[in-house]
Amino acid sequence: MKTEGLWSCRDLELRYAARGGRAGGARGRGRAAGHGRPLPPAAFLAEAFDIGEGECLALVGPNGSGKTTFLKALNGLLAPRAGSLLFLGEPVTASAELRRRSVYLHQSPYILAGSVSYNVLYGARARGLGSAEAQVRARAALALLGLGDFGHRHSRALSGGEAQRVALARALASGADILLLDEPTASADSASANLVLAALRARRDAGDTIVFSTHDPDLAEALATRTIRLRDGRIQGE
Amino acid sequence: MKEAFLLLASGDAETWATVLRSLRFSFLSTLFALVPGIPAGVALGDRDFRGRRGLIAVVNALMALPTVVIGLFVYSLISRSGPLGFMSLMYEPGGVIFGQAFLAFPIVVSTTQAGLSKLDPRFRETIVTLGAGPWRRLVSTLFEARAVLVAAVVATFGRVTGEVGVSMMLGGNIRGTTRTMTTTIALDYNKGEFDRAVSLGLVLLVIALVVNLALHALAAHED
Repeated sequence: MKTEGLWSCRDLELRYAARGGRAGGARGRGRAAGHGRPLPPAAFLAEAFDIGEGECLALVGPNGSGKTTFLKALNGLLAPRAGSLLFLGEPVTASAELRRRSVYLHQSPYILAGSVSYNVLYGARARGLGSAEAQVRARAALALLGLGDFGHRHSRALSGGEAQRVALARALASGADILLLDEPTASADSASANLVLAALRARRDAGDTIVFSTHDPDLAEALATRTIRLRDGRIQGE
Repeated sequence: MKEAFLLLASGDAETWATVLRSLRFSFLSTLFALVPGIPAGVALGDRDFRGRRGLIAVVNALMALPTVVIGLFVYSLISRSGPLGFMSLMYEPGGVIFGQAFLAFPIVVSTTQAGLSKLDPRFRETIVTLGAGPWRRLVSTLFEARAVLVAAVVATFGRVTGEVGVSMMLGGNIRGTTRTMTTTIALDYNKGEFDRAVSLGLVLLVIALVVNLALHALAAHED
């Protein structure tokens, strides 16, 4: 396992990220930073914390403990309110390397209007892959997650669990080697959860860095190389 | 009423020429409003910046302005002594189209902005996290909001087709050149000649109906 540090945070303070997303976006930051309005209470605090390359880190904790907020911040979707959160020495919100290498997956993922193929190809094409290579990656990712026959299905016709797998396939096809996953098996039945687990294990064993949140201790046990317990926006321990 | 139908059914050249001229003006003015209006609507709907709310309020206020006020404002621009007087647009089709584009611009901006504001916030995060650059983000956003954009086009087209103030003030209602359906109706009403006015009114009614049906069909398709 590679051990170089990827993220390091010091005296980090984050404001709450609404599940699904708006507070973490640029709009939320702009209002907070630019308009002088009172900020809501900080939701996530961490004095010192590092994540190394190749780690598979599970974030566990009850609802509202700050898992989503932390994951979004790690992806640069949410700017620190105070303190620092750096990726390879650069602030996460300004790191092109982080954007190039990482992908964040919502617990309830957004599937773009269009077919499953369109969605999965989007992840690959957005990172500049050629059409042929993108097609190969998309097919491989769909097959890996048991979605080989889903290519032509419209995004509206997907169940919650299928949408989650499509979104994971899209993330895998993008070629990102850092996966930030918010409850990746939350909507999955046991068969789907096993497919997701197998896919993530393969990526972990290939050296990818994975940070995921979960309520499922079995998933954390089966996948993670390191587990962090969160409660009320604070790291309780490892 | 019967004579009005007969005018349309008999293919009366002047009546249909007026209809086609009106539609041409509306099409071109809508097009000219879309070119700056959609990027402006995207900027207002997709980003946050200081003064954004104020700008949205200004755009919404412009939408509520009577067409004669817009006509008056554009007149001050394109009249012989105005800053654009050298273009000789007054009482020319170009003047009507220019004025109608002014009328249409805030409608396009506001409809686009409102539509984009309703996009799921996860959408933007998703395309950002997947690594889409600024250009791909813009194209993806427009594609994702395509139903809203088409609705903006249809609503704008309907609005400019039905306006009378701008066409009258800037076009002068010149027969065969700048006369539109609405200015013809106004003129014929003043003359007490109702057949053509009613026939053109029927055409406008059909256009309004088609516009509304198209909007409903779009809404139903999105659901």
